[in-house]
Amino acid sequence: MYGGGNVFEPMKVKELIDEDPVLLKEFEARIDRGEKIEPTDWMPELYRKQLIRMIEQHAHSEIIGALPEGTWITRAPGFKRKMALMAKVQDEVGHAQLLYSAAETLGKPREKMIDDLINGKSKYSNIFNYPAFTWADSCFISWLVDAGAIVNQLANAKGSYGPYVRALDRICKEESFHLKYGHDCVATLAAGSKQQREWMQDAINRWWAPMMMFFGPSDKISVHSEVLIKWKVKMASNDAMREQYLDMYVPKILELGFTIPDPNLRRNEEEGKWEITEPDWDEFKRVINGDGPCNKERLAVRRVAEERGRWVREAINRKSENYIVPLA
Amino acid sequence: MESLDPRVNRMKIGGFDGELHKEAMDQLGTYEVFLIPKDGKPLESVGPVHASDAEMAFVFAKEAFSRRFECVAMAVCPTASIFPSPVSEADISAYDLVTIPAETEGENRQYEVFHMNKRGKFHKHVGSVEAIGDIDALYKGKDEYGVDKPKNVWVVPTGDFHFNAEEDSDLWATLPEKKYRDAIFYKAGEKIQRYKESVNS
Repeated sequence: MYGGGNVFEPMKVKELIDEDPVLLKEFEARIDRGEKIEPTDWMPELYRKQLIRMIEQHAHSEIIGALPEGTWITRAPGFKRKMALMAKVQDEVGHAQLLYSAAETLGKPREKMIDDLINGKSKYSNIFNYPAFTWADSCFISWLVDAGAIVNQLANAKGSYGPYVRALDRICKEESFHLKYGHDCVATLAAGSKQQREWMQDAINRWWAPMMMFFGPSDKISVHSEVLIKWKVKMASNDAMREQYLDMYVPKILELGFTIPDPNLRRNEEEGKWEITEPDWDEFKRVINGDGPCNKERLAVRRVAEERGRWVREAINRKSENYIVPLA
Repeated sequence: MESLDPRVNRMKIGGFDGELHKEAMDQLGTYEVFLIPKDGKPLESVGPVHASDAEMAFVFAKEAFSRRFECVAMAVCPTASIFPSPVSEADISAYDLVTIPAETEGENRQYEVFHMNKRGKFHKHVGSVEAIGDIDALYKGKDEYGVDKPKNVWVVPTGDFHFNAEEDSDLWATLPEKKYRDAIFYKAGEKIQRYKESVNS
């Protein structure tokens, strides 16, 4: 699972005008024809760098996203819920493996990506820096955060880079289980006791604001370059994804008798779009830069895993003996 | 704040100071994974795994690629064993982009040939050839299967694959026992109905 809140800030790469004009033209023509780019093709440096950043952030989000849900495995209500949540967390970590491999085909070694994660240099989906207080929070994540990730991933699955598209093809198939499982968890609480309904409503109240930030800053203030849309790196604007999410999920939340904690939320039928309270983008920036409620804990847990797993890697690793970059 | 995860508190995992760096190559080798989803279907590429050796690559591959979807057979090979052709597009065959001459000396051995028919898709097994080297195998593949005009070709020495014995295909027979992994196991509709009835009563 992953949000569109990735950061497309300007990067220090070769200017496009410095790229070989003939190769650039062929590259763009290929994308215009709807053909995918494969790892051995020529590609502009900006395309390579932005894709590495995006796929890497996606992979980190899968790993870190498994943490708030993972904490609830031992406390999930009943054996079946424990088995299902374990399966879901395993899926998320498996998705990270596929995504790290896809990013590796672009030339960034896997250990460097993990190094950047545990030293706070790489970003991941901001929403996982918020805490899961109760089982209902875990249900919110399984259903409504994953639903957002699916909106984003289905868009990206139509992108231009072959290895990323292939990884997403598998990932999207597995997400359908997550969505159904999550919806079932929330519906169970909805049909449950007064206490269970309160837990779920409280979770919605806690997570709604971060969820509205999940797709990233509004198009009005977000500086993503048009060239990334032209190259099919970014497939839908942040606002377009947020709209799609609201269209699909607001009715489903209301159907269960819950309320959404935004007094300004309404569908403007004339303009055919949703009106929401503008999310607190200062908070978004603060949290994504490391100062959220759980950033430190999330990275600390990863670092402990890294340190404690070291002896295993040392014991079995034959270093570069059989390493080459994945082909596809 | 104190963590909401009781394990984090018990283990006293707090914040952290300083940097923790991984050394270069602090990771495992790469293997490509292929599987047959159903009897009668060709072996197809599904993606890479990182592992210390072929045996472990098979174990990881089984977990990564067949814990949910149907599978009747699986094979892994070191990424380094795959010899890829250039990538073509439109109606150009990848075989036609192979211009280097074939090896002239070497022992004849069997290669497995895989085609990617469209950019962005997975490679599928088309058959095998006898050849004296990787490039020779591409030319032999062209003679045998070139009519398909694939956009990319992989040739792999058959002996470099690690795969399950046929009688071990029951490795995947446990899938029906794990219904909780399936989307269709979850029937939220019944609960929504129950909620609506409780409101109306």
